[in-house]
Amino acid sequence: MSEPRLEADFVVERPGFRLQVRLQMGTEILVLFGPSGSGKTTTLQALAGLLTPVRGHIVLDGETFFRRHEDGKTVHVPARKRRIGYVFQDYALFPHLTAAENIGFGLRGPEKAPRVRELLARMHLSHLANRYPHQLSGGQQQRVAIARALAVNPRLLLLDEPFAALDIAIRQHLQRDLVALHQELGLPVIYVTHRLEDAFAVGQRLAVMHEGRLEQVGPIAEVFHRPANAHVAAIIGVPNVFRARVVQAQADGLLLDWDGLPLLAPPQALPLGAEVTAYIRPEDVKILYPDRPVVEAVRDNQVMARIVEIRPHPGGHWLHARLDNGHEVEVRYGHHTYTALSLQPGAVVRLVLRREALVVLGA
Amino acid sequence: MNWHALRLSLQVTAVATLLMLVVGLPLALLLARRRFRGVTLVETLINLPLVLPPTVVGYYLLLVLGRNGPLVQWFGWQLLFTWGAAAIASAVVGLPLLVTAARAAIAEVNPNLERAAATLGLSEWAILRRVTLPLARRGILAGLLLAATRALGEFGATLMVAGNIPGRTQTLPLAIYDAVQNRAYDQANRMVLLMTALAFLSLWTVRRFEHPRPREERESRV
Repeated sequence: MSEPRLEADFVVERPGFRLQVRLQMGTEILVLFGPSGSGKTTTLQALAGLLTPVRGHIVLDGETFFRRHEDGKTVHVPARKRRIGYVFQDYALFPHLTAAENIGFGLRGPEKAPRVRELLARMHLSHLANRYPHQLSGGQQQRVAIARALAVNPRLLLLDEPFAALDIAIRQHLQRDLVALHQELGLPVIYVTHRLEDAFAVGQRLAVMHEGRLEQVGPIAEVFHRPANAHVAAIIGVPNVFRARVVQAQADGLLLDWDGLPLLAPPQALPLGAEVTAYIRPEDVKILYPDRPVVEAVRDNQVMARIVEIRPHPGGHWLHARLDNGHEVEVRYGHHTYTALSLQPGAVVRLVLRREALVVLGA
Repeated sequence: MNWHALRLSLQVTAVATLLMLVVGLPLALLLARRRFRGVTLVETLINLPLVLPPTVVGYYLLLVLGRNGPLVQWFGWQLLFTWGAAAIASAVVGLPLLVTAARAAIAEVNPNLERAAATLGLSEWAILRRVTLPLARRGILAGLLLAATRALGEFGATLMVAGNIPGRTQTLPLAIYDAVQNRAYDQANRMVLLMTALAFLSLWTVRRFEHPRPREERESRV
């Protein structure tokens, strides 16, 4: 974390729900991660001033937005005076206003028109300026929502599940754009998601939330590698997380060494010798049929393993296998997959850790 | 046609509509957006004139407007048996129609839009003016029109608090009553036709407000 800019420590009470947040962040993208109902949106609303905590404090860049302790008087700066950009999960675009009018909604005076033009151009929306929200696609609405939040020069940007409703290609594009935007503006960003892929795509640090509590805040790789407690481990819920060393880094890919096992991964800018955290989803570990030709997609990263156990699950089977390097991997497959292999504990199989599916996080 | 009665009816309806707007819109906002104890009580009180006999509403209004009522005691406003009393009676019976429609329309505005406006630096008043009211516009107008039409047709409570003084407090519905009593059927027919036409036009417009045709829906959002 860079120089701290936001310092928050507060408690929100709602009927049947209590939220406790303690958080510091700098000029970074912090991913607020947790299952739905864990308090992510409530946290954003408290930071933005849309609801009032029962006690605690919220300080941004030295300015106290909220303070209420046992002694002393209460400070509560209303939402409209906080200059916090908020992108809502449903975008919350004004349906009676055009894209340009939405973006300029919070602006006044002679700077309004040029600022709106600038943001329209920055978000690639210039040709859509006079469209109404219902005439825009989901991705375009999302860009209008971000532009509108940025228009008032916010000091903190809050994004509530911003790309949840979008398809994967648009999501990845917008996520790259968001990271670029963040670097360009030097703005602290809190990004709420319940999807792990989003956390990897945009985040630098991860804050894991569970039933109204922040269970762990730290660099993504660290949270993955060392979950602070069982809640975090369960929420992150990703088997097959491992530490490896970068042996080769070339334009066409990385070569990792996982305790003696060589693995190829997609290209990424990482220094030679770096210790990295990597993971592969259990669905992306495939079992090869010994008597069938190997297709191109699963040629790399073949490894022999001995089956430890197979557990039936509602969606199929979860299989654990021990590799030669002593580690275990989990494989998940559908009910009617691999039936010809008659898999059973103790048997030796050939696995493929699909190269394209291997996710490598920074050190 | 009893032109005096028509003119008075329009005057009473206009003032009643203004009164309902001033009282009803804040009530609708309150009921749609705030959670407080006694919501049901407030709603029930507002809606009572819909189901009470007009004479009962009129009786309560006599107490409020009468010599010992607050308006006379505190402000010295002697409204009983003036067209002002007719306007108040009309407003009281029309109010529930406005509040119900306006409340529903306001409740339908996505609260995130108001939150978004707050984070963009708008005061509560500006949010109301630039977000909530424009988006609830159609429902509020429909409710207002419905309430105004009800006010225009007010008879029972009006008779009790304003009387039936030709030229001073005799509105169209009262004039129709008189005409029928005096067997002036030609005159009654004309006034009945006029009232029916106005009510029909009003209800038809309300439906169009509430259920715009697809093409208008697009334009209305624009």
